Amino acid sequence: MDFAKELDRLEAIVRELEAEDLDLDAALKLFEEGVERLRAAREQLAQAELKVKKALKVEGSDR
Amino acid sequence: MGASLDLFAAASAEGAWTVSEVTRRARVVIEAGLPPLWVRGEVTGFKAWRSGHWYFSLRDKSAQIRCVMFRTDNRKLPAPPVDGTQVFVFARPTVYDEKGEFNLTVRELLSTEQGGLWKLAFEKAKAALAKDGLLDPARKRRLPAFPLRIAVVTSPDGAALRDIHVVVTRRWPVAELVLVPAKVQGEGAEASVCAALARLAALGVDVAIVGRGGGAAEDLWTFNSERVARAVAAVPVPVISAVGHETDVTLCDLVADLRAPTPSAAAEAATPDRADVLGHLEHLARRLARGLTSRSQRMVDRLDRTGDRLNGAIAARVEQSRSLLTAYGARLDALSPLKVLARGYAVARDAQGRVLRRVAQLPAGREFRLRVTDGEVGARVSSAPGET
Repeated sequence: MDFAKELDRLEAIVRELEAEDLDLDAALKLFEEGVERLRAAREQLAQAELKVKKALKVEGSDR
Repeated sequence: MGASLDLFAAASAEGAWTVSEVTRRARVVIEAGLPPLWVRGEVTGFKAWRSGHWYFSLRDKSAQIRCVMFRTDNRKLPAPPVDGTQVFVFARPTVYDEKGEFNLTVRELLSTEQGGLWKLAFEKAKAALAKDGLLDPARKRRLPAFPLRIAVVTSPDGAALRDIHVVVTRRWPVAELVLVPAKVQGEGAEASVCAALARLAALGVDVAIVGRGGGAAEDLWTFNSERVARAVAAVPVPVISAVGHETDVTLCDLVADLRAPTPSAAAEAATPDRADVLGHLEHLARRLARGLTSRSQRMVDRLDRTGDRLNGAIAARVEQSRSLLTAYGARLDALSPLKVLARGYAVARDAQGRVLRRVAQLPAGREFRLRVTDGEVGARVSSAPGET
């Protein structure tokens, strides 16, 4: 997941929801999407321990 | 008398050289005998002319030479040398005809301040990098805001890695550190760092930190190698240089997208603070909720208003119907046969309840039923029409 893109989308949702011209149905859909993205972002941030990986010496064996 | 005449004759004969011929000849001899060469000396009497050309002398303890460095050559230098600076110049010895002056036409000038030949090499490499545009500030890339994979090119057991680990753990444990081990000083360090940098492209990282902990200035030379600098420039993701020396700027620093004074500072620059990001998310969550609430409240208000109008409309309709019913009821009442009977009329009907309206239906002796206002009685026709 690209965190920056996720955050951009979230901000766009909030702005759109705050705008005046939107029917309730669309607002609800946006809200649901926003909640889901918030949940995913929080979940990602919840990772508690830094992972350290050593890139092996051998070329091409990194992934 | 004759001798002096001869002398005079010899001096004034066609064999005597003109000034121009001598200076030209001297120039040819000097240029042929002294090809372009490196000269070392101290700058004195420096003057930059409005034309952009530089004029100065180079001297040592016992001699000096006039020098000129034309604008096309000196504009590649970051700054003019000041008097007293020890420099190396690459120059062509020649004779300046107009003044009959032996001088050096300087093509390149390198300062030997602090570090002597190393500095010389540094300046040369820097010039080469600049020539290829690798020092252009416009090349600098922005660091990613939320890196998920951070490569660290450094010694696997050095202080730099430990420092970076500590900072990233505190600020952004969300990320993954990818250590790309390299020998950062001593024999073979240059090749090792270049190889590690070349591997970054395949590792799918968002940003890279290249560095080492503090150390002696001589140990920095790995990071002053033109090869390493070019390898840094070739990395496809933003690179932070953290060579661990506050005062000396290395070539690696100059080429990197960001120069950090220490590995810790590099880690700090590479990562956002998770607490800040969470705070921002909470802010967005509040706005999201408020956005929906105000939107629904507007909707509820609208529904309420619509409901009121609906109720009003129905009430009016009911009232209208009620008065209509009352009116119809009155009219129906007036038409009721019971009312007619009450006024004294009677209805004659046969046994099946059919109303008998005509004389023909009532022959003499016919039995029928007669309805009056308060009940019904049996009756018989006593005489035919006209009989009475």
